[in-house]
Amino acid sequence: MTHRVLVIIPAHDEQASLPATLAEVREKAPSVDVLVVDDGSFDATSRVARAAGVPVLRHPVNLGVGGALQTGFRWACEHGYDIGVQLDADGQHDPAYLPALLAPVVEGRADVSIGSRFVSSTGYRAPWNRRLGMLLFSGVVRLALGRPISDTTSGFRAYHRRVMEVCQHDFPKDFPDAPLLIGLARRGFRLDEVPVVMRERRAGTSFYTLGKQLYYPYKNLLASLMALIRKPI
Amino acid sequence: MLFLSRTQVITALGAVLLVLFVLELVRRRRLSEEYSLLWVLASTVIAVLGFATPLLTWITHLLGFLGESSTTFAFGLAFSTAMLLYLSLKQSRLSYENHALTRELALLRNEVEALNRGRAGDTR
Repeated sequence: MTHRVLVIIPAHDEQASLPATLAEVREKAPSVDVLVVDDGSFDATSRVARAAGVPVLRHPVNLGVGGALQTGFRWACEHGYDIGVQLDADGQHDPAYLPALLAPVVEGRADVSIGSRFVSSTGYRAPWNRRLGMLLFSGVVRLALGRPISDTTSGFRAYHRRVMEVCQHDFPKDFPDAPLLIGLARRGFRLDEVPVVMRERRAGTSFYTLGKQLYYPYKNLLASLMALIRKPI
Repeated sequence: MLFLSRTQVITALGAVLLVLFVLELVRRRRLSEEYSLLWVLASTVIAVLGFATPLLTWITHLLGFLGESSTTFAFGLAFSTAMLLYLSLKQSRLSYENHALTRELALLRNEVEALNRGRAGDTR
């Protein structure tokens, strides 16, 4: 049985990098469908996506990555997709890794597959503050789950339909990282990691701005704790 | 002595004025009944404490405050804290609902566009 795969691209003011990303997905993974969720962009993100012939869902205001993914999950479930893949608009994620990323979910070994920069040495060097955060949260996840997930902040993931159905209703609003993984594992979903190489973003700015750099650790530590102790909805 | 201090008179009168103002806001539909309840209750308590000196004195001794005016202000502060927490709760809920509506709107908009495209195809 072949799986219907939808690549969900959350995009906020990504008109500069989106066309190249869409073209690359079409070229390297012609068998998957693509959906762009325009998260309240002020630029022509929606227009360039439509011009590339992919369906676009447009939030009237900015909700953050989590909200954009949730909208994408809902659409994927309504349109009968078996697997949803989260892929950044900025070109950090190479669609050439899609088959590798999908494999654990397709073969039924996992419900969530995470494209990880650290499973094997892939030459990725983040700034020190980012690295410290990654270290902290992979530690948090290891403590919570009793097993390591080396790249908790990776935005290159594949989700089985079962997971997407749950996530439509319950999903971290802004940063779908460590707390999400803990919450999913607590629900009994199986997580797996696949080594990938990530690139520099093509253009535009990251979701993670300075103000968020301070808020992020607080929010994610609290949310991780809550994901661990609260009963899943 | 009916009133202990000038502060007490000012506080009590202020509370009465606040109740009147809150009720006026409700009358003009600027404030919903739901929110007015907390304000009216709190102001009434402060007003009663302000005018009923024996009661205020009794509560002050009971709770061990140093002065009667401290009691009044402690009640006021407790109310403010409760109100702020309540508003944060409301705000969280509203933002959650807003979030859900935004997502729903994006999906519906997409569906409407798809339907419109389909109809345009039919009439061609």
